[in-house]
Amino acid sequence: MSFKVIKPGFLTTIQDYGRFTHGAHGLSQSGVMDEHAYGWANHLLENSPTDAVLEITFGGVELQTLDDCAISVCGADLDFKVNNQTALSWHSVQIQKGDVLSWTLPKHGIRAYLAVKGGFDTEVLFDSRSVNLRENIGSKLKVGEVLICDSSNIEFDHFIVPQYIPNYDKDVVLRLLPSYQYHQFSKAQRVLFFNQTYTISNANDRAGCRLNGVPIAIEKSKMISEGMSYGSVEIATDGLPIVLLKDAPTIGGYPKIGTVFSLDLAKLAQKQPHAKVRFELMDIHQAQKQRLKFNQFFGLD
Amino acid sequence: MHKIILAGEDSILIYFGSKINSALPKNIANFANTLKVEFSQLIINLTPSYTSLLVHYDLSKVNYLTFSAEVQNLLTNFEFSNTTEDSNLICIPVYYGFESGLDLERLLAEKNLNLDEFIEIHSDQEYLVYAIGFSPVFAFLGEVDMRIQAPRLATPRIKIPAGSVGIADSQTAVYPTDSSGGWNIIGRTVQDLSLKNPDNLNKFKTGDQVKFYPITREEFIEYGGQL
Repeated sequence: MSFKVIKPGFLTTIQDYGRFTHGAHGLSQSGVMDEHAYGWANHLLENSPTDAVLEITFGGVELQTLDDCAISVCGADLDFKVNNQTALSWHSVQIQKGDVLSWTLPKHGIRAYLAVKGGFDTEVLFDSRSVNLRENIGSKLKVGEVLICDSSNIEFDHFIVPQYIPNYDKDVVLRLLPSYQYHQFSKAQRVLFFNQTYTISNANDRAGCRLNGVPIAIEKSKMISEGMSYGSVEIATDGLPIVLLKDAPTIGGYPKIGTVFSLDLAKLAQKQPHAKVRFELMDIHQAQKQRLKFNQFFGLD
Repeated sequence: MHKIILAGEDSILIYFGSKINSALPKNIANFANTLKVEFSQLIINLTPSYTSLLVHYDLSKVNYLTFSAEVQNLLTNFEFSNTTEDSNLICIPVYYGFESGLDLERLLAEKNLNLDEFIEIHSDQEYLVYAIGFSPVFAFLGEVDMRIQAPRLATPRIKIPAGSVGIADSQTAVYPTDSSGGWNIIGRTVQDLSLKNPDNLNKFKTGDQVKFYPITREEFIEYGGQL
């Protein structure tokens, strides 16, 4: 055993790379919202790139360490502390039995990832450890719960050079592949879509990010339901976009204007409501090239 | 007739037709099985729906152009047949009553039917599983007889009890868990379709047949149903 939950926080769940192979059963992909921070969290501990981590949204979390353990915390700055002292993020850290880890409030970004050496050993449900609250698969962190992982002592000291730590306060440009019904939207509609700055609405969660802006007039608002890929952008009946994320339903019947490149979704995962977002066109070859590089770097290939 | 389009950096969508057609779910299921066999190393996830199949592939192993061409090639040479060897008939007991069927009384009035006639129409036929989605184990079944079709409620209910059987236009379905929804509720099954029983994951697949059979209030209670 390794951590006892003192404060569970607002929305804290175990996540891994995702739940694949169950699209035909209606199960969402699930998994971490920020694949970039997740990749680093495991990488800094020499873990498998698909090991399970704790996704901490907004903070409010306090954990008591029950065994010596190597950890890394990447992603948002939620004021991470060990025994009430500011501790290193984006860095492998050796902690001792009895240490108290805490995350209070979001300073930059909203989602932090706690990785432990060897990954969290929670129950595998339908081939993944990812919790999906919409599907009643697993549950949020609870007071008193014990999170199991191996005890570990590391010799190494791994970190990311500061200039590579993302700045989550920057406005996000979402690069969009012209997928699905892109060509069925008129030129005027696309101009309106690409030339405006949207703001993230309050109604955004792990299933989708709703954006506010000038509505796009759509003639045909419903179509035959079809499979929706991670990052596809629905234009709902009100003419506003919804970016479909990890916990989105598998199929849906709104027209989709395109699909956002996954590494830009990682940046979007760190944004608060009211943040500004723009879209820009990207071609498939560029997207595949960049993602392949990412996969190769983190050993996901 | 078949069309492949881009769906994302590591996914394509194959259209097998442009209209809903009872032959398509089996065709799509067959083709999905073939894809899994032919490209076992490349396929990450498959999501079939009414007229399409979303294919999520491993971009570390194959790129978009090569993979699309290979799928196109397989499609061109594929012999579509209307039968699947492993298509099942799933029978679901339903208590059709005003207590369990929250919209039943209104529908009877609107459709000018009595309860027995309504039950007979809904439970007489076998339905085809066209798609699975919305939530896990939620199977979209069709086609509902014209005489009992009804549009979704203008305002969806916040909570529909697990096991509720609903109608939305030409489709019918069972809600596997408590959830919000706008379908017209006509009855309830005692069968647990939730993932509390992990075997339910494989309860339905596209191309299967489903038949409802009516049970009495007493039977519903006896089998553990709650009202």
